[in-house]
This record gives sequence, C-alpha cells and structure tokens, in this order.
Amino acid sequence: MPKKVLLVDDSTTTLMMEEMILKQRTTYNCVTAKDGLDAISRAVVESPDLILMDVVMPRMNGFEACKRMRLEDSLREVPIILVTTRGEEEYVEAGYQSGCNDYITKPINGHELVTLLHSYLGE
Amino acid sequence: MAKHFRSKSKMNAHDTTHDLTNQAKVYAARMRLQNTIDQADALDAIREIAGNLIGTEQVAVFKVDKRRSELWLYWSFGIDPNKHVLLDVRQEPQLHPVLKGKPVFREHPGKNLLSTDEPVNAIVPILVDGAVAAVVVLFRLVTHKPALEPVDRQICEVLSNCAARAVSPQFAK
Repeated sequence: MPKKVLLVDDSTTTLMMEEMILKQRTTYNCVTAKDGLDAISRAVVESPDLILMDVVMPRMNGFEACKRMRLEDSLREVPIILVTTRGEEEYVEAGYQSGCNDYITKPINGHELVTLLHSYLGE
Repeated sequence: MAKHFRSKSKMNAHDTTHDLTNQAKVYAARMRLQNTIDQADALDAIREIAGNLIGTEQVAVFKVDKRRSELWLYWSFGIDPNKHVLLDVRQEPQLHPVLKGKPVFREHPGKNLLSTDEPVNAIVPILVDGAVAAVVVLFRLVTHKPALEPVDRQICEVLSNCAARAVSPQFAK
C-alpha cells in the first residue's frame, strides 16, 4: 500500500511543483489542501502518513494548524514538516513549539525534499 | 568497486532529482501564468513564482511609459512603494537591454542593477504582443539563497513570455 502525503499550501504553483517531484521520484500518493483549516479536515478524512505544510496561509496558518492537528487523536503521531521561506532560528523554534517534526525552506530543493520524506516514510 | 558504483548511482539520483526539480519549477511557473483568470490573479502569480520558486519576497512591476523614457511603479509586494515610484531610463543603464526584451541578472554581489539601496537581482521584461510593456524587478533574495541559479533564469524567461495578463487587462480570459 503506497504511503499518502498531504500537501498543504495556498499557492497552486507550489502544490503543482511538490506533486510533480513526489510523483516522479517516490511511490507516495498525494492529496492537497489549500490552507490550515482545509488541511485539518482533509487530514482527518484522508489519514495521511505525512503532512507537508506551508506556514504562511490565509484563514489559518501552518503553526496554528499544526497545533490543532496535535489535539486530534488520529493526527497526534503523524509527521508534520513545515515549509517556510524564513530559516531564522526563532521562526524554526516557533514551528517546533507548534508540534512539527521538521521543516524545509523555500524555494524547495527537490533532492532535499525527497531525502527528508524518505527519512520519515522510507523509500 | 561496488562502493564506487553505489556512490555513482547515488550521484545520478541526486542529478536526476535536481533536473526534475528544475523542470517542475519551470513547468509550474508556466502553468500558473497560463491559467491565470484575470489581471489580479496574474499579479498574484508573479508574487507566488517570485516567492516560492525563485526565492524573493520583494518584487515589483513597473510599466513602461509611451515615450519609453520612464517606468512607473504599477504593483509591488514586500517593498516600500514610496521609494520606487519611478525609474528614469537615462539614469539606469541596465534598463536599456531590458527595454529591448533581454532580461538582466545581477552577476556580482557588490554591483547593483539599479541605483537603489535595495539589492536588485533581476530585471525581466514583460512582453505583450512581442513588445516590452512592463518589467518585473526582483529585489532581495531570501537570506538562505546567496544568488540566482540557472533555473531561476529559465523561470524569468517564462515570466517574460507568459505574464502579459498582469499588465494588459485585454488579455483577461
């Protein structure tokens, strides 16, 4: 059974790029959501094996969505990787405090993304 | 010997993923711009492409005036618009090739493309019916990106050729 990854970003450009890289370089199935609120409901329904989520989004940002996901029994253990444009220490720290497992910076490097996802989901 | 093959195949996988990332970025930029629904969406697409694919959160679009002597700020994101109201072509030599349709890129960190305090990393013409109607200026890159990469230049080519809707409402779908 292929692993399922939930991609969350309000930018269709980013979703398109992430999906293309993961489809070509991994066996994972991808589902998408366009903001934090949408991500929570999608995650509950889809039960993904990993969530790759942008931080800056309308309606609900990635930090808040991450916190709320950790309150859901079914999502408590799901690895969450935040995607951020800012790699500054305090920003990353805020991500970890919200409950994420890891983070990756934009613009995304495909090799780095695939390697990171492999480390959580296996090849 | 086996180790040599393993590391070679690991390197090939890295190269393949690198190529694929570049293709994915160029493809995503083209698709996003070609599928914009109106002018506002096209400007938003420029912001997304600059921020998510190239790596700058400071971007502006300047329109070329009829006499082609000045460029006036039409739209911006992440910069102080009051500091960049107008670009005078006579005082900005890097605009000359851009107005002929050729993008220019910052080659040396110490040398800026425009006479502004903010670093300018690229100036990209937006072509409308083959003529330069506006330019996209990419300012400061995100802190973890030292310089533009070859794929960024390809993305800028896409911006140049597919962003007409951002400055010409008649291109609305």
